[in-house]
Amino acid sequence: MMRHWSFGGVFGAVVLAVLVLVAVAAPWLAPGDPLDIVGRPLLPPFTDPRFPLGTDQLGRNVFAGLVHGTRVSLLVGLAAAAAAIGVGILVGTIAGFLGGWTDEGLMRVTEAFQTIPTFLLALAMVSALGASTINVVLAIAISSWPATARLVRAEILSLKSRDYVDAARLAGMSRLGIAFREVLPGAVQPVLALIGITVGVAILVESSLAFLGLSDPNQVSWGGMVANGRAVLRTAPYLVAIPGAAVAVAVLSVSLVGDAMGRRLLVSREG
Amino acid sequence: MAIEFSLSRRHLLLSGTAITAATLLGRQRLAGAQPARDGGTLIAAADTEPRNLNPAIVASNGVFYVASKVIEPLAEMDYETGLRPLLAIDWQGSDDGLTFTVQVRPNVTWHDGTPFTSADVAFSAMEIWKPLQNLGRVVFRNLESVDTPDDGTAVFNFSEPTPPQLIENAMPALTSVIPKHLYEGTDIAENPHNQDLVGTGPFRFGEHRPGEFYRLHRNEDYWAETLPYLDEIVFRVFPDRGAIAAGLETGDIQVSAFSAVPLVELERMAAIDGVSVIPGGYEGITYQITLEINHRRPELADPRVRQAIRQALDPSFIVDTVFLGYATAATGPVPQTATDFYTDDVQMYETDTDAAEALLDEAGYPRGDDGNRFSLRLRPAPWFAQTRATGDYVRQALRGIGIDVEIVSADPAGHINAVYTEHDFDLAVGSPVYRNDPAISTTILFQGGLPAGVPFANQYGYDNPEMNEIISSASETIDTAERVGLYNDFQRLASEDLPIINLVEFTFITVARDDVQNIANNPRWATSSWADTWISD
Amino acid sequence: MGRTWTLIRRRVLQAIPVILIVSIGIFGLLELAGGDAVDAYLAVTGGGDPAFAERLRQQWGLDAGLWVRFLAYVESLVTLDFGWSVVMSKPVSVAILERLPNTALMMGAAIAFSACLGTLLGGIAALRRGTAADAGITVGALVLNAMPSFWIGLIAIVVFAVKLAWFPLGGIASFDRPELAIGRVFDVAWHLVLPVTVLGLAYMALYVRLMRSAMIETAASDWVRAARARGLPRSRIVRRHMARPALLPVVTMLGLQAGNLLGGSVVVETVFAIPGLGSMAYDAVSQRDLPLIAGILLVGTLMVILVNLLVDITYARLDPRVTDDRVRADGGA
Repeated sequence: MMRHWSFGGVFGAVVLAVLVLVAVAAPWLAPGDPLDIVGRPLLPPFTDPRFPLGTDQLGRNVFAGLVHGTRVSLLVGLAAAAAAIGVGILVGTIAGFLGGWTDEGLMRVTEAFQTIPTFLLALAMVSALGASTINVVLAIAISSWPATARLVRAEILSLKSRDYVDAARLAGMSRLGIAFREVLPGAVQPVLALIGITVGVAILVESSLAFLGLSDPNQVSWGGMVANGRAVLRTAPYLVAIPGAAVAVAVLSVSLVGDAMGRRLLVSREG
Repeated sequence: MAIEFSLSRRHLLLSGTAITAATLLGRQRLAGAQPARDGGTLIAAADTEPRNLNPAIVASNGVFYVASKVIEPLAEMDYETGLRPLLAIDWQGSDDGLTFTVQVRPNVTWHDGTPFTSADVAFSAMEIWKPLQNLGRVVFRNLESVDTPDDGTAVFNFSEPTPPQLIENAMPALTSVIPKHLYEGTDIAENPHNQDLVGTGPFRFGEHRPGEFYRLHRNEDYWAETLPYLDEIVFRVFPDRGAIAAGLETGDIQVSAFSAVPLVELERMAAIDGVSVIPGGYEGITYQITLEINHRRPELADPRVRQAIRQALDPSFIVDTVFLGYATAATGPVPQTATDFYTDDVQMYETDTDAAEALLDEAGYPRGDDGNRFSLRLRPAPWFAQTRATGDYVRQALRGIGIDVEIVSADPAGHINAVYTEHDFDLAVGSPVYRNDPAISTTILFQGGLPAGVPFANQYGYDNPEMNEIISSASETIDTAERVGLYNDFQRLASEDLPIINLVEFTFITVARDDVQNIANNPRWATSSWADTWISD
Repeated sequence: MGRTWTLIRRRVLQAIPVILIVSIGIFGLLELAGGDAVDAYLAVTGGGDPAFAERLRQQWGLDAGLWVRFLAYVESLVTLDFGWSVVMSKPVSVAILERLPNTALMMGAAIAFSACLGTLLGGIAALRRGTAADAGITVGALVLNAMPSFWIGLIAIVVFAVKLAWFPLGGIASFDRPELAIGRVFDVAWHLVLPVTVLGLAYMALYVRLMRSAMIETAASDWVRAARARGLPRSRIVRRHMARPALLPVVTMLGLQAGNLLGGSVVVETVFAIPGLGSMAYDAVSQRDLPLIAGILLVGTLMVILVNLLVDITYARLDPRVTDDRVRADGGA
């Protein structure tokens, strides 16, 4: 079983590395603005060497869109996950360490966010505030921090009774000082296992929002490409198939890598 | 039974109604051979469900599409005669333009059995068309009262001369008559009959299942004795356009109007046995794609910059790429389908990026170190895929002459608020509708001095006294030839001044199963009553 | 019985602050947006003038000050009269009740489908641990989980609705619905096959993995070892001693996933043109219909709370060890 997962982890890591490389090298792989109209509309893939994956109904290069879309997907995925995990750690630490009414209050808020259908919330947010990359990142972050917060809080609760915490308290450190400097590093470790899932979900949510027309119009997004292709699904199914597959590959690779990381952590903690 | 596109489609749009009618006669030749047949259910695709279905209040195509089968206007557009009488059988404007007398159709009853009289017309005009209707507030601005000397006569009294030609042109879209006895003394805007329609039309309103369908039933007591042919019309709600195409293919849908089938699918649809693509029947509701310009930006207030922008853009590129040929390059605010008002004696522009760059240099906006002259924020209207795509094209084209464009997208409420109330835009892509007369919804895009918050109007900061003068004198000119002359001046000045840039104009496409007969047989077919539509074996 | 009531009371009490926070958040969000319901209305109708817009704002109560509007909003929520929906042109409660059954039906079916198939496959994978079947199931679940549901949905439409014509293109029922009740049930079921499958598949992976690891864990437990030593038949060991305790985390996850599933239904309802809460939420947001958005989010939240309550009750049934201090109190993500 270990072998099986580590194979998945390696596979995921390789795919992810390729995606990152593509994202970084996008301006060289497909120079120019991917939103530019550059060719005849609806050229099928593999017919014109200039447009290896064909063109969409406006004559935009699908390959260029795919390549530049990698940037947006990975960037939004990572930024949103980082923000979500950051907020989660902050809330979880404060709640777990201060306890009492602070804990009670923060946990009620966390629960609220876990109870509302968060995609509806993200939809309302982006729609009301306007579709820009930063708003999309914020909306995704706001809807996915509670998991981290609860995990961190639980870890902190189990750690804070330990000896070294008492030692720090005797040494006269402030409560939050102890929390962030002494306890947090130990509590954050299991959070690493959540990164893969969080990034994967963020990429999926970004593509779903883009599919509903809520993405930055100055940038290509895979979900947006699918939404464009939807109207011509029968005539040019590749316009839906290609970017959708890209989303799946990206999400699969980050979740494989995240999974492998989580398992290694588990092994190192238990063993 | 596909139509030959390459031959006809652009031609059609260029030359307007006559050719459309001829082509369609060709298509209907099969139908002509057999007599119209009674019965059957017509299943039409709808992609919106208007909140207010009362066409007297909301004169919009989304509403008319369903409601025009139930509630009728005074007259309908007609290819041969111009106007075909419906609830009015005769009308006459006075020489001074101060009265307009309408003879209403006798022996008509509302769907609830109450007789229809001129009092219903008077009530609709004074209580709805003038104060409540989105378009009527312009046309009926000077309407003071409507007298009803008898049940068959309604006399419209205006405080200022109002051209009879304007009223005639407004009849098809702006004069839907609703029953006085159900509306009088109620809160008209929230009257339940705004959903549960009661009219005089060939079909009665059946039921509306939100998100699913509208069902209309045949009106057995319709005033035109042999009509309608159909037993039922069902408008199935299909928010997804791809699904509409598939539905036509499988026969689940028999008619889809307003280009609900994506343009790129049309070629494939036309090749399918049993499905036809029909480009006519919308000449009375021509849309344009325009570039709206905020003159509050000092760069854009300079006519040379606006000319440069116009020269950087290639309308024929938009026609070919965005509209796949189903559109025509525009020359000004009046579309070429409006044969009575259109003139080509205007300032024409060639696409010439070198000239555009020279103009910009001359205006004092040289390219900076990064190659940009200045940056603009462009808001494409969210209504059509084509407005958004045109936005992408404008961005690309203007980058070519050193103008950096950032696209800002918003949903309908955000867009309306940003452009027409807050003026928070530099450029916007709009899609105004030309409704049969320039005074109805076109000159308002050029008229200066409007307060902020009037949507689909001049909120561009453009205020040219000469333009204002032409618009106001045309609105009070009774003589038709003189009035047309003024509107020709209007088009000339608009093309020289370029307060907004009219890029392309388009009408819609209907796709239908071949057994549906009498499609596209008037210039507002999709928004007309469908009384004579029938289904062959 | 007493225990169940305690559970319900506690859940309901916990829900109150949640609902409060959610409602205030919605109000604040819509305040930040550019344009209001009147702008949305004018966009659709295609015209108007400032006087008309002003009158509409008065009529719809949009011209009052921030606090007045907020108080009116709170009042409407407290009295459970969600107000009037501008988009649907009817009371919000009526609009929601019209659509709730469709969404609830789809969600319920999707939850059942993903949990049943997921636990079954997860169980098989655990029992066949290390074999090709295990690898196939695990990888398959991961891949399905990675695919965006709108994408699977569109492909399913092309293949099963257009090419093969086995299922309808979308919608919840035929417009010419059958006369007989039984026919109508079949009609709706026939329409729901594709959307439920698509929605369910996206969430199935979770249950596969949970069930698989839980089964592997219980297989190694003393209980199972003792049972084996006693020579009990394998099928009985699997059912009683492995699968039953392994179901506990799956049941917990059902509750935690309810909200996500409801969110996912927005996309699936849009793709399959199902008149449900999700697609209505999308319309409501784009038309700035605050009462309707608030109503949908609150009803959605209530649905999630309800599902969690059911989960709690089921959990208590499945695991006799659980008393009021439930194991799942802080069950993690």
